[in-house]
Amino acid sequence: MSRPGPAQIGHFDPDTIRRGAIACLPLLPSTIIFGAVLGVLASQRGLSLGELLFMSLTVFAGSAQFVSVDLWRETIPAATIIIATAVINMRYILIGASLRPVFRGRPLWVKVCGMHMVADENWAVTMTQPNLANPGFLLGGGIFLGVVWATGNIAGYLLGGGIPDPEVYALDFAFTAVFAALTIGMWKGKVDLLPWVAAAIGSIIGHYTLPGTWSILAGAGAGVVTAALTWRPDMDDDSLEAEFAVEGRDAYGAPEGTVNTGNTGNRATLSPEAGK
Amino acid sequence: MTQFPDLTTFSLEAVLTILGMAAVTYGMRLGGLLMADRLPQHGRWAHVLERLPGAVLISVWVPSALSAGVIGIAGAAATVVTMALARNLFAAMAVGMVLVGIGRYFIGI
Repeated sequence: MSRPGPAQIGHFDPDTIRRGAIACLPLLPSTIIFGAVLGVLASQRGLSLGELLFMSLTVFAGSAQFVSVDLWRETIPAATIIIATAVINMRYILIGASLRPVFRGRPLWVKVCGMHMVADENWAVTMTQPNLANPGFLLGGGIFLGVVWATGNIAGYLLGGGIPDPEVYALDFAFTAVFAALTIGMWKGKVDLLPWVAAAIGSIIGHYTLPGTWSILAGAGAGVVTAALTWRPDMDDDSLEAEFAVEGRDAYGAPEGTVNTGNTGNRATLSPEAGK
Repeated sequence: MTQFPDLTTFSLEAVLTILGMAAVTYGMRLGGLLMADRLPQHGRWAHVLERLPGAVLISVWVPSALSAGVIGIAGAAATVVTMALARNLFAAMAVGMVLVGIGRYFIGI
């Protein structure tokens, strides 16, 4: 682990899974409290605890679950709930796409198994790891968050009221804070500036003009369009740097020029896999 | 609503609804990755894909900071600055959350 050779780190290495779980530890208090709030809501809306846990582990997407449970009635409006879930979770298309370097060169079954436990939080934590961009790390965070989320659900469902109001301890702000902080780790250089400014402006405009989570798509769309428009062929140097990320080594946030040292030979071994 | 916590009832409609939710969500997660795998590894598309995580992340938290009002914007700014200086996730989160907690408790903003 300390000195990875040319061979890739295992797909779901136990040690990497454990590190991924530990990296999500700062999210424990807010995840458990929000899980409990959802548990209370579910008991009021008539879901059984079993149904709620089934949902938490198969859907595994907080904001969509809140909206769905809120829409839940005696006669379940299934179509409305599924459409709402699809709209709220549409950002996962972008999140999935951005995980390409984490899964590059891995077989299909790793992608199939690794993509389920992807929440915003463990995705963001994984994407900002300097050395561990690896499916095991992502899965470790996902399993940790899933267990904590389900534990919160159980506590909230059984306790009913009596759980602290997240706003009092600013626990609702934990998610904003973790994403804001992790943004710093995603900075790869000046090329990010314009797309990021566009994303911020797009999401702010979306926030005031669009309902629900459409602001995420508005911001991401503005960022993507700006990135596409500002691309120049001489920027390809940057994408070369990212190619090395693929191997789970110096992926994100590596200082310019430090990555290429001694690794030039690996490019040749990588290329055939890229065609898969 | 039942009198006692309803632990184990699984109604068919509930299970089907949840499976529908799970299918669309997982489909988008895996579908996004598989679509990206088909995009070129170099050039404009690769460049766009590399900018994507930052753009998504910013679009997640900027609106939620705005929703939290003035103190939310201040808290997010404090978090970003702390992270840029200290490079410590826990410290950055703590600074933002404490600021928001204090702001809500004492000033009510």
